[in-house]
Amino acid sequence: MKLFDKYNRLNITATVLTFVVGSCAFYFLLRYILINQLDESLQTEQQEVTIYVSAHNALPEIISTKGQYTSYAPVAATLPVSFGNVRGGKSKEEYLREIQFTIIAGGKNYLVKVDKPLEETEDLLKVIIAVTVAMIAVILLMGYIINRIVIRRLWQPFYDTIGKVQKYHLADQDALRLAQVDVDEFSLLNRSINEMMERIKRDYDALKNFTGQAAHEMQTPLAVIRTRLDVLMQNELLLEKNAAPITDIEKAVHRLSRLYQSLLLLTKVENRQFELNEEISLDSIVAAKCNEHTEMAEAINLDMKLSLQPTTILFHQHLAEIIVSNLYNNAIRYNKPGGRVEIVLADNVLSVSNTSDHQQLDSSKLFKRFYRDGVTEEGNGLGLSIVKQICDVAGYPVSYEYSDGVHTFRIVFVRGV
Amino acid sequence: MKILIVEDEPVLNKSMVDYLTSQQYLCESVSNYRDALEKAELYHYDCIVLDIMLPGGSGLQILQTLKNANKTDGVIIISAKNELDDKIQGLSLGADDYLTKPFHLSELNVRIAAIIRRKNIQGSNLLAFEEITVDMPAKTVSVHKERVPLTRKEYELLVYLIINKNRVLSKNMIAEHLWGDDMDMADNYDFIYAHIKNLRKKLLNAGAADYLQSVYGMGYKFSAR
Repeated sequence: MKLFDKYNRLNITATVLTFVVGSCAFYFLLRYILINQLDESLQTEQQEVTIYVSAHNALPEIISTKGQYTSYAPVAATLPVSFGNVRGGKSKEEYLREIQFTIIAGGKNYLVKVDKPLEETEDLLKVIIAVTVAMIAVILLMGYIINRIVIRRLWQPFYDTIGKVQKYHLADQDALRLAQVDVDEFSLLNRSINEMMERIKRDYDALKNFTGQAAHEMQTPLAVIRTRLDVLMQNELLLEKNAAPITDIEKAVHRLSRLYQSLLLLTKVENRQFELNEEISLDSIVAAKCNEHTEMAEAINLDMKLSLQPTTILFHQHLAEIIVSNLYNNAIRYNKPGGRVEIVLADNVLSVSNTSDHQQLDSSKLFKRFYRDGVTEEGNGLGLSIVKQICDVAGYPVSYEYSDGVHTFRIVFVRGV
Repeated sequence: MKILIVEDEPVLNKSMVDYLTSQQYLCESVSNYRDALEKAELYHYDCIVLDIMLPGGSGLQILQTLKNANKTDGVIIISAKNELDDKIQGLSLGADDYLTKPFHLSELNVRIAAIIRRKNIQGSNLLAFEEITVDMPAKTVSVHKERVPLTRKEYELLVYLIINKNRVLSKNMIAEHLWGDDMDMADNYDFIYAHIKNLRKKLLNAGAADYLQSVYGMGYKFSAR
């Protein structure tokens, strides 16, 4: 629910409630005042009758007018003065206000009743209620119109800000610059976001520089080790006795350098430093990578089956090559001699299946960094997390399946599925 | 052939100088931006091996200077930053090749040889080793002037071996050269052996002497004993 609808709901409820309670109170108060007035005029009638009786010692003649009915009736006892609402009048259906009092005239005790119609009072009340209801309706309507038109315009700077923030990537060269607006709250929001983004951008740039520099600082010593090793290797006298350790060192250096390159790549993908809107031909990448891996596959007599549909997707050439290459590497490395690798690209779905002696992999850990199934020590444990990371950033779902000794990785190259 | 080596790490610098000198190149080396710029502006080199991150400035600026002065020195960038942007920028500024640290000296050697061959148009495009001749533009190999049909990988392997003749080359180096860094060999070099075996057989059948020796199970060496 929008903040505004929430506010509105509360506002409307409170308004209606206030008006209902207010109009009820207003109704009863007015009614009380009007009846009081009526009672006063009835008292005046009583005084007139009393004065007439004390002057003439007889009851005045009854003159019934439209607004007043008078009647006399002989009674035995003397009663106190009382007011009440009755029905009667000409049509016998009118609501009337009545005063009753006893008076002695000509030696006899009479009960005098004087009635005045309540109709005018009721009419007045009806008008008042109608006005109240109309006012509630008008206020609600006004509120609605204000909300729809004015408030939307008032909130526009907020939506502008949100739009800009949503579109912004840290990897963008420019800093996020939100304009100042004339509403203090939004101005404060924009200023705060600007300041926060500047801090984040600084940290991000520092981190990026750090990764670059760390790479430089680590790759250079590695390059020293590697080149020195190349030179050492030329000393055949030394090699004769130390072939195994030198080979081990070389492999370790190779592994370390690959590991570092993989970590760097992961960081860069995480930082979204790649534009993913290049139009690439996936089938030709898959075919080319298959070609490169043929020898590796042939070395353990693998049967490589390739079935490709021409597929063009929005992606990044280099990243697509890395994904495909990593999947191939795994499909071949974890295969068994004489096994199969099957690659199918159809309807924007790439699936790579391979036979293997390995049991089903734990799909919750499979894509984690440095995950190994405990059986093999080969590889650096980053291949699949790189695949996953790239696909996540690009918005392409990756899945893993296992059945009957065949492991299958599937990537759906459709965004937002 | 004159080569300028620009690298601030002294040990790495020395390794490159040693290796390339042993390959009959005339090497000069500098270790900072100012010296590199001065040498690059004053003299002509067949190839400049250029590190990007240098004390005092960026190797890319040196490239820019060379480009502005219309100098045609071959340039190979060696950088620890495997940044695609750097690579693209370097190549667009006129660098001929890009090598990421850590690299093998043998790989550097092959790349330099390729650059020099490309720059040196009037020079010989033939690579010769004893009775073996490689016609680089045509990508053909002949022994005693007799054509030897080779697969693409065997051809690349032979060129690599001849350029790095008399050097011990590990299986790892050969694999990295032939298949690139992108592919993870996972310590399985069996399939290199197949190519080595085929190449050797084809050369022997064509009448060449056996120059390819296995070195203590760790690699190979191409030499005329």
